Amino acid sequence: MTYRHAATTRAVLRSLVPVICPPEAIPLGDAIVDHLELSLAASPALIQRGLAVGLVAYDLGAVARHGRRARALRGDAAERYFVSWEHGATRLQRQLARGVNQLMSLSCYEQPEMMERVGYRPGPWIAEVTQRRLTVYGDDVRRQQAQILAPDPLRPGVRVARERA
Amino acid sequence: MAASVRPALLEGPRPPNVFTRDDLRGATTLDADVVVIGSGAGGATMAAELAEAGFDVIVLEEGRYYQTRDFTADTSAMVRQLYRDGGATMAIGDPPILYQEGRAVGGSTVINGGMSWRTPDKVLARWDRELGLTGIARELEPYFERVERRIHVAPMDREAIGNDNLLLKKGADAMGWKVIGNLRNQAHCTGSNRCAFGCPTGAKQSALVSYLPRALHYGARVYADVRVDHITRDGKRATGVIGTVTGSGHRVTVRARLVVAACGAIHTPALLVRSGFRSPSGQLGHNLSMHPNTKVVAIFDEDVTGWRGVHQAFQVREFQDQGLLFAAVNMPPSILAMSFPQRGAALGQLMQHYDRMVLAGMLCEDTATGRVRTINGKPQAFYQLAEADAANLKRGVVLLSELLFAAGAQRILLPFHGAGELHNADEARALLARDLPARRCEVVTVHMMGTARMGVDRSAAVTDPFGLVHDADRLMVTDASLFPTPIGVNPMETIMALATRAAGHVIDNARRYVS
Repeated sequence: MTYRHAATTRAVLRSLVPVICPPEAIPLGDAIVDHLELSLAASPALIQRGLAVGLVAYDLGAVARHGRRARALRGDAAERYFVSWEHGATRLQRQLARGVNQLMSLSCYEQPEMMERVGYRPGPWIAEVTQRRLTVYGDDVRRQQAQILAPDPLRPGVRVARERA
Repeated sequence: MAASVRPALLEGPRPPNVFTRDDLRGATTLDADVVVIGSGAGGATMAAELAEAGFDVIVLEEGRYYQTRDFTADTSAMVRQLYRDGGATMAIGDPPILYQEGRAVGGSTVINGGMSWRTPDKVLARWDRELGLTGIARELEPYFERVERRIHVAPMDREAIGNDNLLLKKGADAMGWKVIGNLRNQAHCTGSNRCAFGCPTGAKQSALVSYLPRALHYGARVYADVRVDHITRDGKRATGVIGTVTGSGHRVTVRARLVVAACGAIHTPALLVRSGFRSPSGQLGHNLSMHPNTKVVAIFDEDVTGWRGVHQAFQVREFQDQGLLFAAVNMPPSILAMSFPQRGAALGQLMQHYDRMVLAGMLCEDTATGRVRTINGKPQAFYQLAEADAANLKRGVVLLSELLFAAGAQRILLPFHGAGELHNADEARALLARDLPARRCEVVTVHMMGTARMGVDRSAAVTDPFGLVHDADRLMVTDASLFPTPIGVNPMETIMALATRAAGHVIDNARRYVS
């Protein structure tokens, strides 16, 4: 993995966890920001750079309005500042707010605690249906695997044609 | 008996003729009759048919080699591993369109939903009538049959169908609309609903567990982790490829008598352009169709638990002639949460209903085309949703919402930013009168087509009807780039049938192509 959050990026994202994630996810803030790093590492460099630059602008932009950087805002002030970007005058502001919301929501609900909270338990289910398939339909599964490898030339006598060529 | 059957072929140690970056520890030069670039629906099919015919085939794949056992319930890890750019690829337009491509051995067949439909008759008739592809419907028939046998195209087992799909059918039946069982390339899918993240049960017969094992069985070699930089040529004749091993940067050179590009409709035109091939038609990279998709989320009073059941068991075909298909598609909570504008406590409250949600989507047969430009050697898609298609998507949202209310939905969340939610069918119908600009619609796709379209007229098409590039020699395309028009249904089977037909052409003319 070549991408790592810059210190500013991490700090701003960490401060946004209470703004974007449900209250029950707030204790998972560090894990959410770590997960977001993984997602960004797989993303195009343009998105990585755009987000990093955008978050610096977001961080510094709070000084004029709130007298401190965004990363230091808490509670209502943090909420109001994020809303001001969600409904910002420029498209870039709105896109940044939307993008961060999307990425952080993804990372939030990738946390096992949050999946459990909404009742999503795919691991045991996958194990169960995998076993069921092999148990109930084993013969058919085996037949399909055999037909995949069985000779069935597209053209009769093609090997001869190939040798002549 | 069950103990002796494995979920998929070649599950276990890496086959000896699959190579990865661990095997490529320096500059490597390889020789083959045919080099196939890309291991998805087109590439894997071509490789298997030619290998069985006795050709010496090398398949190059940019992505990694995984097996069924590697596909886990960790959604975002699967997205990072199996999707190009982590799934964050975007066609520029207003609205921008998020599209996804597979990047792994098996290509997009590893992450698709497995819908397996023949090209509709009306589409083939148009190709015949308008594009000089005379008799193509009759000609493709045996190839469709062959593909369907190989990848086991079949309806779903009744007991594996989940509640989300049953509700979709219930709604369609209540509306009196045509709804059909989906045909999918699966051998007794038992419904993990993880198709988009690599099938963990081995039931989906993606190229990874069907055509590629067959290709390997008949002697093909598969090189994963190799990105092809360009096709080498001698004048207009393709002579092989030069690629780079991801991670190490080592060079891989393949000398071949026939080069087959099967990189998908975004990357194939870029590869041809950066290799210096030009089409006299001026159409290379043009004619991009995308089958724009959007979705609604319905919340029911009853338990749905859509992740327990098969993916897209039914398709609503009532409006197919008007370019719209509907289906239910379950997504893990993280992907769903990502699509909601809500945040904070509101997001938490909404997600508490996760197990009572039906996510239903639509495919729109588009009328506009975009293009793929090659910028610094890399492809960038540009696509502007047509007004007519935006209107069709909006109409689709209304119809799908009516269907879901008929099935008992209590609330429906809309794909238009700021549009709020619906509580009954009257509100749904009232949407038609509301001003909902296209740019406010969330549009995604997984069907990119048409950027190297086939046809007999070299002044209008990039390739001939078999995929051989006009004005080039021994260079072939076998992916959805070939489609002259959008086809209005899921494209995998059409790609495979065209690739099989192209393989037949190569075999029939072996002396010309590999001597």
